[in-house]
Amino acid sequence: MEINASTQNDITVLALQGRLDGLASPQLEQRLDALVAAGTRKVVLDCAALTYVSSAGLRVFLGGAKKLKSAGGRAAFAALTPAVHEVFELSGFLEVLAVHPSAAAAAASLA
Amino acid sequence: MSPAVQLLPLTSSLDEIPRLADAVEAFCEPLAPGPRDLHALQLALEEAVTNVIHHGYGGRPGHTFTVELRREDRRITAVLTDDAPAYDPLARPEVDVHAPLAERDIGGLGVHLVKKLMDSAAYERRDGRNVLTLARNFAPTAP
Repeated sequence: MEINASTQNDITVLALQGRLDGLASPQLEQRLDALVAAGTRKVVLDCAALTYVSSAGLRVFLGGAKKLKSAGGRAAFAALTPAVHEVFELSGFLEVLAVHPSAAAAAASLA
Repeated sequence: MSPAVQLLPLTSSLDEIPRLADAVEAFCEPLAPGPRDLHALQLALEEAVTNVIHHGYGGRPGHTFTVELRREDRRITAVLTDDAPAYDPLARPEVDVHAPLAERDIGGLGVHLVKKLMDSAAYERRDGRNVLTLARNFAPTAP
């Protein structure tokens, strides 16, 4: 799991690469917690290169979205691969998380 | 294609998850699987193995259990066998995947995904062991 961060104005984009499994998910959880603690309120999770997610990764996605929301912020998810999209769909996450076709569209939704 | 079988010994550590994923990918490689089939099987095994480690062995390291992979035509069967106290992960109550964000709890979601992504899932207690059998029929190879 690789996480590459970039910022556009007040939006932080985390580009996730590889596998978000039970071993890797604490790394993303810590990253999101640190961002919220540092005052970031708008986060794009770019999943274009995310090849795998399990329930452990979904838990971190959900927790991150909840923490941002309770801090007055928002999370937007972008560019799900077909396998990751299927898992979002089966979990009902397409109904509760903001999912966009591209990182640019996700960032625009937070602007 | 002739049936193939592989037995993977595992220990009760989350470090095994990526190793198991690699082994599953290598085992399925002769089928040239699509990404959704491979993802589904890897996810189901991660959820099942995580359940064994957390619920079966209480998160304690040093226990060993096995995953047996079988390949028959385009059907992949995985059999998890562990000697932890009796525990049927499939007996968990169904989760509400349509609850609003604030009420969403991730508990039970792994088992929900296993049931949705596998063509069959069955648990039995046999000879003092938990035996979980998961199977998925892989889609035909793209022409």
